[in-house]
Amino acid sequence: MKAQLPLTDDDLHAYADGQLAPERAAQVDAFIEREPALVARLADIRQQNAKLRDALDPWLAEPLPRELVDAAKPPRSRRDRGASRGWLAPALAAAAALVLGIGLGWIFRGEVLQQAGTPITFSRQAAITHALYARDANRPVEIWASEEEKMVRWLSKRLSFQLHAPNLNDVGFALVGGRLVAGNEKPGAMFMYENADKQRISLLVRKDGEPTRETAFRYALEDGIGVFYWIDDSCGYALSGNLDRAQLLSIARVVYGQLAALDAAPPK
Amino acid sequence: MSDTLPDPDLIAALPRLRRYARVLTGDLNRADDLVQDTLTRAWAKRRLWRTGSDLRAWLFTIMHNVHINQFSLRQRQFAEVSLDADEGPLAAWDIPVRATQSDRLELVELFAQIGRLPDEQREVLLLAAVEELRYQDIAQVLGVPIGTVMSRLNRAREKLRRMTGGAYGAPLKVVK
Repeated sequence: MKAQLPLTDDDLHAYADGQLAPERAAQVDAFIEREPALVARLADIRQQNAKLRDALDPWLAEPLPRELVDAAKPPRSRRDRGASRGWLAPALAAAAALVLGIGLGWIFRGEVLQQAGTPITFSRQAAITHALYARDANRPVEIWASEEEKMVRWLSKRLSFQLHAPNLNDVGFALVGGRLVAGNEKPGAMFMYENADKQRISLLVRKDGEPTRETAFRYALEDGIGVFYWIDDSCGYALSGNLDRAQLLSIARVVYGQLAALDAAPPK
Repeated sequence: MSDTLPDPDLIAALPRLRRYARVLTGDLNRADDLVQDTLTRAWAKRRLWRTGSDLRAWLFTIMHNVHINQFSLRQRQFAEVSLDADEGPLAAWDIPVRATQSDRLELVELFAQIGRLPDEQREVLLLAAVEELRYQDIAQVLGVPIGTVMSRLNRAREKLRRMTGGAYGAPLKVVK
């Protein structure tokens, strides 16, 4: 990189990895718009990231050997298992259910890939994505809500159509952020929200090559995760979370309402 | 309170620990041994973990140190072999379930390419691109200055890009 450029390699990597401070990211934004070579380089890094994650994420779903699960428990409870089982068992069951859920998802991955955009597999994809990232305390999203505008712009670019992150503050859920997720022919976008009780819900948005007919709301319970999903204007939406059905439905209606209002607005 | 670790979190971190161990060792059995040793050490050193700090980064740090102590010699021999071999050490890794034929070929190729990266570059790339750790956490995990993390990351990405034949400009079509 030429010395007179106000950008360093470090800036570029941090920008691509979503680790740049907001002020600096804004400067980078402004700068790369005039530099097609940098846009290409950024795209290259992000594509590499996506490729690596696609290749290595399936490992996370593999069943864990019993010895490793045992080794993760406190040493005392290993010696005196009877005493600790009372409080340990629910945690283990939850972890096992998650692993099983994600595992099942990956076993059916081939089918998901082949049946692009069918509602049944779409809900499963949404539940798997939600299970994988909602539990991640530190990095559930790639770009945090503090950079919402940048996030939406970036995801819109990657998905090749204009996205909107619905505002769910009125129903008690604040935007956490968003990330790019693997889709079929095209990537999808996930927006994550969290309420005051730290419960998380996520909205998966995906549009695949073929126009698909519109559907009403459908509900699926995938490995304990509730999913409301629908297709609107050949774009699939799925709202996932560990909420009860009625609560999830009311939020799905809010999401739908906001997106419909945007559609109705005259284009700029 | 500080005398224990949040073991549900520990269990939740297991898949990621295993993945990192596989990247470090390039071998499934040795990876699980490494995870086991890491967990034993984490429980033995549990008083050093600050409640509320990033448990995952702390576990990666322990794993990195255990690995350096136990496998450094073997690892070096491994790396030498992989420079010439057609398939890097990672080519021996399991390909995820039911990938389609073309997916499978692509994966084998990608694993071989990752395997051809020098160990220290592969580590940084995994922690940054796949685990999405903050750069300063990566520096802490590896016990190196952040500048070293950045230069390794830069070199890893550049090398991988050249191996995959990517050229600046080509991905433009994808992004629009």
